[in-house]
Amino acid sequence: MTDEVSSKLLHDLRSKCSSLKSAAELYKDCSPAEKKEMLALMKQAASGITAALEKLASAS
Amino acid sequence: MEKLNILVLEDDKLAQKVMAAQLTGHKLDMAGDLKGALGYLGRDKYDIGFFDLMLGPDDDYSGLKAIKAAAEKGVYAVVVSSSDSEDIIDKAYELGARDFYAKGNEGSNIADIIRKFVQNRRLDAGTDVFESAFVTEDEETRAAVTEALRYAPTDLPVMILGPSGTGKTSLARVIHDRSGRPGSFVAINCSAYTEDLLEAELFGHKKGAFTGAGEARRGRLLEAHKGTLFLDEIGTMSPNMQMKLLKAIEEKTFHPLGSERAETSDFRIISATLEDPKELIARGRMRFDLFQRVQGYTLRLKPLTERPADLFPLIRHFTRGGRRLSFTAEARAMMQEYKWPGNAREVKKFVDLVCCGPEGRIDGVIAGRHLKPRGFAHAGATAAPVPAAAPAPRPAGGESDELYALAVKDGLQAALDKVAEEIVLRNLAENGGVRTKTMADLRISTRLLYSVIKKTGENGGDDD
Repeated sequence: MTDEVSSKLLHDLRSKCSSLKSAAELYKDCSPAEKKEMLALMKQAASGITAALEKLASAS
Repeated sequence: MEKLNILVLEDDKLAQKVMAAQLTGHKLDMAGDLKGALGYLGRDKYDIGFFDLMLGPDDDYSGLKAIKAAAEKGVYAVVVSSSDSEDIIDKAYELGARDFYAKGNEGSNIADIIRKFVQNRRLDAGTDVFESAFVTEDEETRAAVTEALRYAPTDLPVMILGPSGTGKTSLARVIHDRSGRPGSFVAINCSAYTEDLLEAELFGHKKGAFTGAGEARRGRLLEAHKGTLFLDEIGTMSPNMQMKLLKAIEEKTFHPLGSERAETSDFRIISATLEDPKELIARGRMRFDLFQRVQGYTLRLKPLTERPADLFPLIRHFTRGGRRLSFTAEARAMMQEYKWPGNAREVKKFVDLVCCGPEGRIDGVIAGRHLKPRGFAHAGATAAPVPAAAPAPRPAGGESDELYALAVKDGLQAALDKVAEEIVLRNLAENGGVRTKTMADLRISTRLLYSVIKKTGENGGDDD
């Protein structure tokens, strides 16, 4: 894995983790409908994080 | 809340959701890619744009192109990105970004950005602040105050320096009003209290904490929770009190007198002093660590003699909504010549006096009548004013004899006390009754000043 690819992967990871953190902070103030939507997006982000971590692991 | 037109460029669906939640109440357009953002920018007019830089895992920071387009259209472009490379940060600013924030703390960052934007736009758009809240037409003062107000919506402490009566308290209030802090503006003049009373005033006390504490009382620190604590004449605080205050500022917690339970308060500090803080530190009257804590952004207000253009705007301001005055050329010349040692506060007192008079048209006689007791002498008198309330000069021998007789009769201390009283009263009169100025001029304690005032029945004026 080139440095550039690794750097982009790490950026993507940071970005997804940050969004997840911010979403978790907002979660308690959401309406039930928003919570449902938010949870789905958070799960999607978590899957994205797992995928990025696997890529990173396979490359190292 | 002012409704803004906002564009967000963000490819991540969850981040979009987070941004939308933080920007509720504003008109919001959300673009998921560069093309969408450029389309929005071409069609609509935005106040602020929030831009992510890397739009997708393989993207090459295409968000930078949107920053350039936004900046060209006058949009306040803010980067919210996980990129932390110095190159990218520099590039974003070079292309016109006005701010750059790391992702992950949107809860507080977005609110701060909006508050700062609204505040700065108000400052850039108009000079309303200088027409009512802090009256000045002096360009240098306007620039200094405008710069200070840019720090209003932050938590940074502000220190205001300047002679008594120059408007330090008014400016502190203006900074608070524009801070967006939901709590109160709580002002305290540190020089008006003895050490014990100041401690009780600042930190509060429990019932029975000391003799006379019949009821529990919330201190000023608690009253300033989520607001601003304005400490006027901070340099008159005792070293011991400074240490206690420093601890409260650093820890945001403190113990009211007689209480074992710590209280917490989130206050922003604005302080003021008419003395040079560096000199106070050099003379051991101000702790360096406290100074470091409270100085933050520092500005100095000039005395009225250095901003003569402000005299008549101040008079107009003080008579607004009430009796309007007109001044003859002679009266104007006399007023311009006068030094106004009490600055804006003295102008206010002068206006109150002439407003109560029978004539709305103020000529040289009327102006002179009210300026002369303040030490004005028209014929080229530019020297220091002669205090009206000061004792009339007596022949040196007579004064000396009188003091000598008093010393022999009641002891040397009695004679020394009399000399001290006369000096304090004279200086108080010269300063238009401003006690803090007298304490600074003569470098005397609050206790001495108040004992003279009490003993002689002389009543000083209010303090800045």
